[in-house]
Amino acid sequence: MKLLSAILLTLLAFSSQAATITVYNQGQKVQPNVVVWLQAKTPISVPRKPEEMFTMGQKDRQFTPHILVVEQNGQVDFPNADSIMHHVYSFSKSKSFELKLYREQPQAPITFEQTGVVELGCNIHDWMLGYIVVVDSPYYGITDEQGQVTLDVPVGEYTLNSWHEGFADISSIESKAVSIVSEALRYQLKQPLIPRVAIGVDEFDDY
Amino acid sequence: MTIKHILNTVSIIAVVTTFNVSAHVKGLLQVSAINADSQTSWQERGVGLYRFDSDTEGVLLSQGLLDFRTDLTSAWSAHGVINAYQDPEPTVGFTQAYLQYKPLTQNKYKWHVRVGGFYPLLSLENPDMGWLSPYNYTNSAINSWVGEELRTLGIEATIKRPGRSFNSAHSFSFVGATFKGNDPAGTLLAWRGFALHDRQTTFNEGIAFAPVASLNTPQLQFQANQVLPFEEVDGRYGYYIGMHWDYLKQSQFRFYYYDNNGDPAAINYSTGQYAWDTRFSSAAWLYKFTRKTRLITQMMSGSTAMGAKRGVDNRFYSHFILLSHKLALHRLSIRYDYFEVTDKDDWAFDPNASHGEGITATWRYQLNQQWQLGAEASALRSQADNRPLMGLSPRISQQQIALNAQWRF
Repeated sequence: MKLLSAILLTLLAFSSQAATITVYNQGQKVQPNVVVWLQAKTPISVPRKPEEMFTMGQKDRQFTPHILVVEQNGQVDFPNADSIMHHVYSFSKSKSFELKLYREQPQAPITFEQTGVVELGCNIHDWMLGYIVVVDSPYYGITDEQGQVTLDVPVGEYTLNSWHEGFADISSIESKAVSIVSEALRYQLKQPLIPRVAIGVDEFDDY
Repeated sequence: MTIKHILNTVSIIAVVTTFNVSAHVKGLLQVSAINADSQTSWQERGVGLYRFDSDTEGVLLSQGLLDFRTDLTSAWSAHGVINAYQDPEPTVGFTQAYLQYKPLTQNKYKWHVRVGGFYPLLSLENPDMGWLSPYNYTNSAINSWVGEELRTLGIEATIKRPGRSFNSAHSFSFVGATFKGNDPAGTLLAWRGFALHDRQTTFNEGIAFAPVASLNTPQLQFQANQVLPFEEVDGRYGYYIGMHWDYLKQSQFRFYYYDNNGDPAAINYSTGQYAWDTRFSSAAWLYKFTRKTRLITQMMSGSTAMGAKRGVDNRFYSHFILLSHKLALHRLSIRYDYFEVTDKDDWAFDPNASHGEGITATWRYQLNQQWQLGAEASALRSQADNRPLMGLSPRISQQQIALNAQWRF
């Protein structure tokens, strides 16, 4: 019996749960494009250095993707798919850098050592706007059109963190303690979202 | 140090650094088969307003250019455009050569400075490589004139309030420049009037015009039968100011006021060039009805005068309306131009009044990234009061058809 309960406990400890988190805005509507990540209360294992390479491209004079989530210490490539040059920069506290990008000259990737929100701009195309959200967790995602994100996490106690570009202070995040036991979780944003202007461009708008 | 020295220095810096530092070089060749009008082109000292005529028609290189950008530091970059033409004479030269200082700033307002030889950005018709138009091959009357007689040889500063920094749909830029040179600008408007073409003048070129009868009079005996548009004659500084207002990028508006501050009494006897007191206002607007269909329009109104007593004193005005529609790999563009010069002086022996209108229809097909094919048909009619004194009819009508193949890298 002792053995059986030990096995059960072990199984429970390592059992994973596909948790679907639905994010709502203050208007009680589902909210897409919210970055969500779960931080374990008690670290299950030592923080790892992600092996995966992340990519923040520039295509048609825009950052693609608009928002990229990167694990802490993750390396990000900035490939330029346009035939013109970009001059990518960030003045954000968690990572400040600049990068001149020609299509012909791939640059070394950039490592994001600190967690936080990094706002990207281009010194040549001042409408370009992108974000890199650096998180210290392997459990992250961005909500879809239904306001949902599904994360494969072990059951347990977590801090649910969220970020949206409509936050009044874009370097701040919202956090809440949650228990992952069932597969559905609902999160309501604590602040109203400011609509952000997106400037669409074409090939002749540089001049 | 003269302006030519400065320009040459900038060009040399640009070329030398291109081979030393990371440079971005682009280029374009355009070959055209022209069915031209019989009226002799202004390029060949005729009164025809197109670039080609039946003597120059056939297959020829209509555009050849190299456009390069080199980064010297994070903020400084060198820019240059070299053009090659075979008409009227084989020529290779710079049409733009400047240094740009654009610091990376955390400030929400952005700014940059250009120093050297460049275009004031008053047109919305010419955003392609080397100041070409992606719409019609033949530029509007306004921008044909800008391409031949206008160039800033000086310094320009721009302060921008980008909508992105303020989470606003509106972006504004404010531009101010001061320059030397460009004193003879206006000469062609007085003795030829507006024209319709895509022949940009390189820095050291002169542009010939028809043997206007009044240049044989004592009053105009020192005026050469050509213009060196970028020459410095009076030693004075000119200036322009401009404003850009974008709503998203759907609506783009630009207003410029230009004054070369020419001293009309000043003349360079050795080159036969007067300083013309030339000033104008230009308003341009681009509006995208959809992602595929856009309207571009521009108006320019100004005056130009030369001679101690402003013996030649003219007003000029032009506008165009351009509609362009993109259909998959095809682009169709049609443009209407109106242009006029009015004679305000009392020198009856030198009539300068002219006017006309033109229509230009262009089809372009983007074969792949390198190749583009296209065809253009254009027609114009014009009247100039100085033509009868050369034994010509005051009124002419012209037509031109061109097939073009463009290759770029």
